[in-house]
Amino acid sequence: MSASNCLRCLVRPSAVTLAPRQILQAGAGAAGAGAAGATRTFTATASPNNQMSANRPQKLRFRKVKKKGITPQGKPPLPGERKAYRKKIVLSNNNALPVAGLETLRPNDLSKQKNVGTVMALPEDVVDALRATEAFKPTQCWGIFRQPSVLVRQETVDLIKKMDGAAADGKTLRLVVEGNRISGKSLMLLQAMTHAFMNDWVVLHIPEAQELTTACTEYSPLENSPLWSQPVYTLKLLQAFKKANEKVLSRMNTVYSHADLPQIIPINSPLIQLINSAKEADGAWAVFQALWRELNAENAGRPSILFTLDGLAHIMKMSDYRNPAFELIHSHDLALVKVFTDCLSGAHKMPNGGAVLAATTRGNSPRSASMELAIAQREAEAAKEEVIPQRDPYGKKYDDRVEAVMKSVEVLRLKGVSKAEARGLLEYWAASGALKKRVDEELVSEKWTLSGNGVVGEMERATLLTMKG
Amino acid sequence: MASSANALRLGLRTCSRQTQTPSLRIAAIQRRALSATATRCEGVPVPKKEEDAKLEFTRPYSPGEYLSEKLRSGDLEDWERERYERALSSWRQVPDNLKRSWSNMVNDIEESAAPLRRAVKPKRQTFWYEEEKDPDMITDEDGEDDFLENDITSLGHGKLEEHREFREYARIAVWEMPLLSKYAKPFVPPTSEEILRFRYTTYMGEFHPADRKVVVEFCPKDLRDLTEVQQRKLMKLAGPRYNPEKDIIKMSCEKFEHQAQNKRYLGDLIDKMIAAAKDPKDTFEDIPLDTRHHTFSKKITFPKEWLLTPERKKEIEAARQQALLKDAEKVVKGALVDGADVVKQYLASGAAEAMHAIPVMAGRGGKALPGGKGGKMQRGKR
Repeated sequence: MSASNCLRCLVRPSAVTLAPRQILQAGAGAAGAGAAGATRTFTATASPNNQMSANRPQKLRFRKVKKKGITPQGKPPLPGERKAYRKKIVLSNNNALPVAGLETLRPNDLSKQKNVGTVMALPEDVVDALRATEAFKPTQCWGIFRQPSVLVRQETVDLIKKMDGAAADGKTLRLVVEGNRISGKSLMLLQAMTHAFMNDWVVLHIPEAQELTTACTEYSPLENSPLWSQPVYTLKLLQAFKKANEKVLSRMNTVYSHADLPQIIPINSPLIQLINSAKEADGAWAVFQALWRELNAENAGRPSILFTLDGLAHIMKMSDYRNPAFELIHSHDLALVKVFTDCLSGAHKMPNGGAVLAATTRGNSPRSASMELAIAQREAEAAKEEVIPQRDPYGKKYDDRVEAVMKSVEVLRLKGVSKAEARGLLEYWAASGALKKRVDEELVSEKWTLSGNGVVGEMERATLLTMKG
Repeated sequence: MASSANALRLGLRTCSRQTQTPSLRIAAIQRRALSATATRCEGVPVPKKEEDAKLEFTRPYSPGEYLSEKLRSGDLEDWERERYERALSSWRQVPDNLKRSWSNMVNDIEESAAPLRRAVKPKRQTFWYEEEKDPDMITDEDGEDDFLENDITSLGHGKLEEHREFREYARIAVWEMPLLSKYAKPFVPPTSEEILRFRYTTYMGEFHPADRKVVVEFCPKDLRDLTEVQQRKLMKLAGPRYNPEKDIIKMSCEKFEHQAQNKRYLGDLIDKMIAAAKDPKDTFEDIPLDTRHHTFSKKITFPKEWLLTPERKKEIEAARQQALLKDAEKVVKGALVDGADVVKQYLASGAAEAMHAIPVMAGRGGKALPGGKGGKMQRGKR
């Protein structure tokens, strides 16, 4: 009896109250006889008034306790504001030191061999033009330095010389810039564009090929044609084109009459007026065609054209668009892409000379077996190797149209920069205050080796972005 | 259980040789070796009593008696009679002592077999045939498996058994294995004629479903009498059994019961393949070799250029000297850039302060604003 009572003392009070009343009363009665001390304490603590409430099981509360919420302060970001912040391009930083002895690029500087390994600043008007064409990318580290400047590489000089040579002969340089990740492919395009802007070329740039083929912009079929136009993108491209090339375009007048446009443009009216006639997306494609015809007019004193595209693999595959039969549309059936591929393949010849440059991308690029094969073949041909890579006979991913386009292009493979170039770059970084170290051969060698034999982006990572999250 | 033996005995009794109805003619009744039914004269007309008396055998009788009885009965064919007479005459020529011993033997057999033939009457009073003596079924179940503390445990027995096994193999290793050396043969590398390499599996005499498997490997280039085109055709015929990295065709067979059969099959198959490869009708030249089944492994080797040879060490040392010279030159010219110095100089020049000069509000005289740090607004927020 006493033992059980003692144990009862240890259990929860709510459980004790569930025990039969008689036991408790018997325990209370026995207390007088001095039987169980534990029982005595139990009865002593329970006063007659509390006895009723003690016998009742306790109520458990499951109600949620409301936390004091953090009241949002300030207004939430507007739609698109976050993306704009993410895509923001900052081209200068007042905290960076101005670099003493930094030269600004002049029209012929990029083709001079003596400039290899030096960093040179982009002229302001060119920066505006490049910004208009979206040549700068948010992943590039322009925001660390006071002024946007570029390193002149050996490959840059070679490319620019080729461009100049082709333009002088009235020919078109058709070239694909290939290379590993962050090896400076997009920047090579930027340098080519810089040269073109400085030398009064006309520059048409498609900054992200994936915007054309991943079905994120409107498309519509063209009348009497198997092609598809992308009116909204075309309008945007026209406006960017106008903004970037305003200086050159303002000197040009139309040589053809364009009757089928939304606005009648007579002969010898300014080319700017022709572009301005594309007020809405509906007529954008017709205006683009007219503009393209005007730019390619022979014997009208037209400047050379630089047509560039970044992210080549995206247009070397089936697009994500579908036709009414719900079949995928080939990228080359998109009218705007076709203009580029015709130029790249040489099917369309630019009478005033110029260059068609395409850069591959490695960050977010689909695999295009034919493109990779074509690049490998062109490289092997250029190196005059005995064995030219061939298609895997049982491979199913090849695309004849892609191979036809890339049958005769040149390939510029970007590798790491040389140590001399790396030294120029590191000295520029140190002079900007971004690298607080003595730039000697030892440091150059260290960074050059760390970056996989001078891959520029890796060098940037190893040197400048060590604290970046 | 005890009753089943008795039941069997009862069942057997019905088909024992002793007839229940001695008046029946033995020869006339078709008898089964074992039968559960009692003997009856079904389908046989019940013979008359006077005829039965003739062939009633109540006691052991000698062959002479039997034969003369038969001859006397008279209903025999001529050829039968002739045989009976011959047998009787030969019996009469048997010496007397033999005849006597034969009759003694017959008597003994009859006597010893008599209790078996005797019909056992079931005791109606017993319950579950308790009286039956069947020692096979009786066990002393109580305490039969008790451990009597006079032995080691089964675990101990197991350990001992293990030891015995170890010792057995140790004995074999010491005494018998050396004797195998006399069967050793020197290794003779296969000649250019022996191009097939077979692999067999043995499980040391144990039965195993895989011990019949035979694998053959050969290199198509070893087949000298094939032209290159024919060799390529052979590779294409082999399909996924061709390993392009090792240039080997590997085939196996386990569809027959014996190893030799499987090996024979593989040999025949290779002959067939070679014959097909030699067939000039279709050379398969238009079909590319399919290697989709094979994943080529990338072999990474240390580049020779990276080896630190004495010449290479010299080169590197020279390059380092050059680099030091270059740096020294730059130092002399004052063109060496030191990032830390550049920042220090810039800060010392005061250009930064000039650029980041903080505008002061007019009329305040540089005093802290009430809403600023430690001001009203911040206190209110806390």
